[in-house]
Order: sequence, then structure tokens, then C-alpha cells
Amino acid sequence: MDVFLAIRFDGGAVTEFFFNDVILRGVRNTLEVTILAMLLGTVLGVILAVMRVSHSRPLAGFSAFYVWFIRGTPVLIQLLVVYNGLPQMVGSDAFTHFLTPFRSALITFSLNEAAYMAEIVRAGIQAIEPGQMDAAKSLGMTNLQAMRRVILPQALRVVIPPAGNEFIAMLKNTSVAFVIAFVELTTAARLIYAVNFKVMELLVVASIWYLIMTTAFSVLQAEMEARLTIVERERAIPLTTRVLRALGGGRER
Amino acid sequence: MVALSNDGGSHKVSNSSSLMLDVQGVHKRFGSLEVLRGVSLQVTKGEVLVVIGPSGSGKSTLLRCINHLEKIDSGHIYIDGQLLGYREVNGRLIEEPEARVARVRATIGIVFQRFNLFPHLTALGNVIEAPIHVRGLSRQRAVEEGSRMLEKVGLADKMNVYPSQLSGGQQQRVAIARALAMQPKLMLFDEPTSALDPELVGEVLEVMRELAGEGMTMVVVSHEMGFAREVADRMALMDGGQILEEGPPLQFFEAAQHERTRTFLSKIL
Repeated sequence: MDVFLAIRFDGGAVTEFFFNDVILRGVRNTLEVTILAMLLGTVLGVILAVMRVSHSRPLAGFSAFYVWFIRGTPVLIQLLVVYNGLPQMVGSDAFTHFLTPFRSALITFSLNEAAYMAEIVRAGIQAIEPGQMDAAKSLGMTNLQAMRRVILPQALRVVIPPAGNEFIAMLKNTSVAFVIAFVELTTAARLIYAVNFKVMELLVVASIWYLIMTTAFSVLQAEMEARLTIVERERAIPLTTRVLRALGGGRER
Repeated sequence: MVALSNDGGSHKVSNSSSLMLDVQGVHKRFGSLEVLRGVSLQVTKGEVLVVIGPSGSGKSTLLRCINHLEKIDSGHIYIDGQLLGYREVNGRLIEEPEARVARVRATIGIVFQRFNLFPHLTALGNVIEAPIHVRGLSRQRAVEEGSRMLEKVGLADKMNVYPSQLSGGQQQRVAIARALAMQPKLMLFDEPTSALDPELVGEVLEVMRELAGEGMTMVVVSHEMGFAREVADRMALMDGGQILEEGPPLQFFEAAQHERTRTFLSKIL
């Protein structure tokens, strides 16, 4: 009798390719783009959030429009627009060469993340009691001073958990950048198995790397949250508890 | 009397120079609800005015209009002779830019019912924040002055403690120190003890009493009748967005003129 189901899986290939050059390049690219895009996206997101809650109609309007538009279109399309669509319209060689896969990915993911961070920071700002703004203004601070010194520092604490989730989501979303020939981790795995046909093995390698990165980041986030919480009682929360809490989060987009 | 200033606009100046606060015919509505219906009152320098009245009478709104946290719909408010929030150019009133208003606000201290301390800063941090960033003091001087303020309200040993670790009475005293650190000419108190447990009320009233004794001009919205009787120079009853009666405490407690005053007092005494 033929065996109905034979598992063909070469465990050795997993260890063989785990530290492969192309794979490592993929890991590095994924991390670089994610970290840079989160930083740029957060800065831009804070600006957009402050615009959104300001009393200026044009500023608030623009911010709302931007968020609506970017969140309403798939990041895949945004990547293709930046890498292929814009060069087609602009037509200049210099422009096309400037937009390398890495830069295109960075620009797109930054602009994309900004829209999501804008909403997160806005919610953080609005979560702060109006009494805080009253007190700040009553002491003679201008709106901007009050934002910088009183509101945003408090909003930061509220913002870290959802922002951490965004980071983890983005880390995995970078895999979509294969469409613009950006050699991130998933692309690296696909490049290798296109040649040696060890599909599952390479996907396992990539998955393990993704798990390592997201887990490391989750623990980092938990530490940040713990540090920023004002100590109300002297009891410290043990590390294992913090790690377990941290691993519970995350979402798919 | 109108005074001209350097920038060509003129600041309306009220007639009596001993008035710290001159509120004239102020109206304020929120949507369709008219909360202040033509409120006028005057407070001379060094005077303590206690405003009483049922909730919803507009007392808080009045305080918030005095330091321009709310914009009034009509009327005029003069702080130490200067028109608040507007300047007069060719007979028309133009809104002052935000930065100008912020500077006037810095001269008016306000203490809120719910303290509104900055939770991410220590007691000292709360007190020195505005002196550094609004008055432009060096950190060292701000800490010196701030420490003195906290000593004054009896919290010298709590300087590096966070608000969440303080009792309500202590938090409110920090709030008073924070307001005083800006060296205000006028102090507003919006039901400062209403959110406190009864045992903690005394320590806050004591600080307010001392402040009054030092000659600070104060407008206090409160239900603390003992405080009003002993410390107030004048009292006012507000109801339905209007001031119904005004006069020295003795008049209020013994010979109230308006019927509403008598009813209100009888309910809370």
C-alpha cells in the first residue's frame, strides 16, 4: 500500500539557510525599513494629530483628508504608485533612479504609518482630560506650549501600546514590498526556494526570523510601558509577567 | 477713559484704578443655553469676594470668562484696568492674539475643583513648570521660589512626590502653590474644597485664609459658609446667570435682601 501522506521536509535545510547571506540581508532590510519608517511615521503622525485637533479648519481638514486617503487605499497600491506610477508620470531618469526599492519602501511605509499614528496620537491627546489644558493655559502657556509640555507627554503613555502594535504589524507588512523588488525577508526566502525548490523549509526560516523580531520588540515595548508608568505602589511587576502580557497583543491589517 | 498703546490699538481702561476686576454686562451662551445673562461685578484690590449660588447658576462659567478660558459673547471684563481679550481699534473691538491673552492669564491664578495637577510631574515639577517656560526663570531660581511656595502651603516634605501619591487636600495645596508661583495679581477659586473629604477641607481653607490676610485679591466660588463669614469682604449670590444680591457677609447672613438669597441660605445652613 502506498503511504497516503509522506512528509517531505528537510530539517537540515532550515539550519543550513538560517544564517544564509541573502536571508540575513533580508532580515536587515526588514528591520531597517521598519524602524526608520516607524520613526518618520511617528514624527509625521504627531504633527498630523496636532493639526487634526487644532482650531484651524484648513489644518484639521487636510489632516483628516490625508488620514482618510492613506488608510483607505491598500499599502500595496501605495508602494506601486511610488515605485512605478510616479516615475511614469514624472518621466525624468534622475527621479526614477532616485526611487530605489529601499527608498520607495521607506517613503511609502513612512507615509502610511503616519496616517495610522495620527489617529493613535489623536486618540491619546483626546484621552487627556480637558482640565489639563485648562490648567496649562491658566498658567499662561500658549496652546503649543501646553501641547508640548503637558498634553503630549501624557498622551505618550497612552500611545505606546497601540504604537507598539503598529510596529509589529508593519514589521510583517514589509513582506508586501516584494512587488517593488525590495529584498526584504520574505523576498529573500522566495529567491532561494525559487532555485532549490525547498519551499517549506525556507518559509520556516523566514517565519522563525519574524518571530524573533516581533518577540524581541514585544518585550521591549513591555519594558517601555513599565518604565513610563508612574509608580503608584512600590511593588515591581516580575519580568515573566511583563513578557506574557506583552506577547498577548498584536493585530493583522 | 481710553489709553493709546504703542502698536496703534488702544486698550480701554476702566475708570477706577483701585479696581482689580471690573466685569460689565457680560453675556455668555453655550449653543442655545444662555449661561450668563448680563453679569456685572467689581472687586477692588485686596478684596475677597465669595460667590455662592445653586449649581448651574453660571458661577464656574463666570470664573472661566474672567481668565478667558471662555470667550464672552458681549460685555467687558477689565483686569487691573486693562480690557481682557480684546483691544479697541477705531471704536471696534478686535480679538487679541492668543499669545497676548496667554500673558494676561499668567497674571491671574486659578484653582480648580478637581485640582488639575500634571500627573507626570512631581509636586515641585508642577510648581516650577510655568515659571520656567512662561516667566522664563532659570531652573535654579524657579526651584528656589517653588520650594518656598510649597513650604508656604505646608508641603515642603512632599516636593519630589507625584500627585497620585498625595491626598486630595495636599494636591489642592500644591495646585495653590503652582498658581502662586506665577505671582498673580488676582486669584480665582472654583469650588476648591468641594471635591475633598471633609477632614481635608480645613487645611486648604487655612491656606486660603492666610492668602487673604496677605492682601491677595480673591474671587472664591464656594459653599463653605464658615469661610465666607470669616474671610470674605463681600459676598454675591448668583442664580440663573445673574447676580441677585451683593453685599458684606453680615448682610447675607443676617439681613438678606433678596428672597432667593434667604431661600438658598436656609437650605445650606
